[in-house]
Amino acid sequence: MSLHPMKLVTIVCEAILEDRVVELLREVGTNGHTAFPVHGSGNQGNRNADISEMANVQIQVVVKPAIAETLLNRLQSELFATFAMVAYESDVRVLRPNKF
Amino acid sequence: MIEGGEVTASTSYSAPLMDFVTAIQSNLLSPAVLFFVLGVFAAVSKSDLKFPEALYSTLTIYLLTAIGFKGGVAINEAGISTVWLPALAAMTLGAIIPLWAYPCLRKFGRFSIADAGAIAAHYGSVSAVTFIAATNFLKSIDQPYESYASAFLAVMESPAIVIGVMLGKGALGGKFSFSDTGVRHALRDAVLGKGVLLLIGAMIIGSLCGKRGMASVEGLFVTPFQGVLALFLLEMGMVAGRRLGDLKKVGLFLLFFGITAPVLHGSAGVILGHWVGLSIGGATLLGVLAGSASYIAAPAAVRLSLPEANPTYSLTAALAITFPFNITVGIPLFFELAKYLNA
Repeated sequence: MSLHPMKLVTIVCEAILEDRVVELLREVGTNGHTAFPVHGSGNQGNRNADISEMANVQIQVVVKPAIAETLLNRLQSELFATFAMVAYESDVRVLRPNKF
Repeated sequence: MIEGGEVTASTSYSAPLMDFVTAIQSNLLSPAVLFFVLGVFAAVSKSDLKFPEALYSTLTIYLLTAIGFKGGVAINEAGISTVWLPALAAMTLGAIIPLWAYPCLRKFGRFSIADAGAIAAHYGSVSAVTFIAATNFLKSIDQPYESYASAFLAVMESPAIVIGVMLGKGALGGKFSFSDTGVRHALRDAVLGKGVLLLIGAMIIGSLCGKRGMASVEGLFVTPFQGVLALFLLEMGMVAGRRLGDLKKVGLFLLFFGITAPVLHGSAGVILGHWVGLSIGGATLLGVLAGSASYIAAPAAVRLSLPEANPTYSLTAALAITFPFNITVGIPLFFELAKYLNA
């Protein structure tokens, strides 16, 4: 079994942004993603997710380091200023690197 | 019989004010409104009562489908030639509201361009639940209305959102463009969002099926409707109640706007309804629609296309001020005005 280093990019944002973020993921060249509904709080207040318009989503994607950097840069320049969101990358090791 | 139900009927020759009080009473004592109050209480008292988000969505889908289908059947009965004029009037009114609300919010409320556009979009667009609560009220007092009025609901939802967003964007130095990703997503949401899609879709199905189709789905779409509405308003009470804390953040002007805008817009709606020949019930409903503010279609579409706007302003005003005002005082007020115009 051989494991290959990759980046896991995690984005937590307003659920209404999901389509836009996924579109951006495709533009920077990712092959897939995982999304799940979450709730919590941040410096823009409580996101109590009681109606879908106030819901939050967490989107995760495994990518090559170069793509992770492009992705985070674009998130920062296009969406950070006006939407409630956080994004970060972490190191992961994967099987089948050509899948990502 | 105009007044009635569980409330002791005042005689029909009593003063308009007495009528208004009676109408408010019979509105307040409906299960739907009382459950709304219970919901507000649950949220304010920090009860652990919570609806899963999925149930909220389910109830929304049910209400929109049922109201759309019933409206479609009514269009089938009345014929499209009866419906188009009042529907066009409704749509025009919805589009005009943001045009005057925007400068008013800018000048007197001193809101930023984006915030003024966002709030204007919310108030020009409509609240389906307020409309449904109004049909409920009319039914409870045995006041007939044009059942095809849900067509007004369908056509009033989107135009104001598009215009409000254009105002908010365009005034920001001509930045409005249909190719902007945010605007593109928002327009899709405004025109093809779940609310409009379900309403118009169910309406087309209803108008194709007519009365015979109604007979086959009545058991689901008509009989349990009042109970489902009561349950939904319980949840809406909680949603509104959780935002009461935000009232402190939005300032006095928005509080004032949240009450006066529905009264002004609603009165304009009633007058317009009366003018295009709607019955007392129909004019009341057009008033309620014009006076209501959207908190389902508009927030999502506006958030995406006018991200510079602070959603706390528009959502708190629509949800925590205007919505409770309309379902308690606004509906009977517009009804009395419609009655007065028809007298």
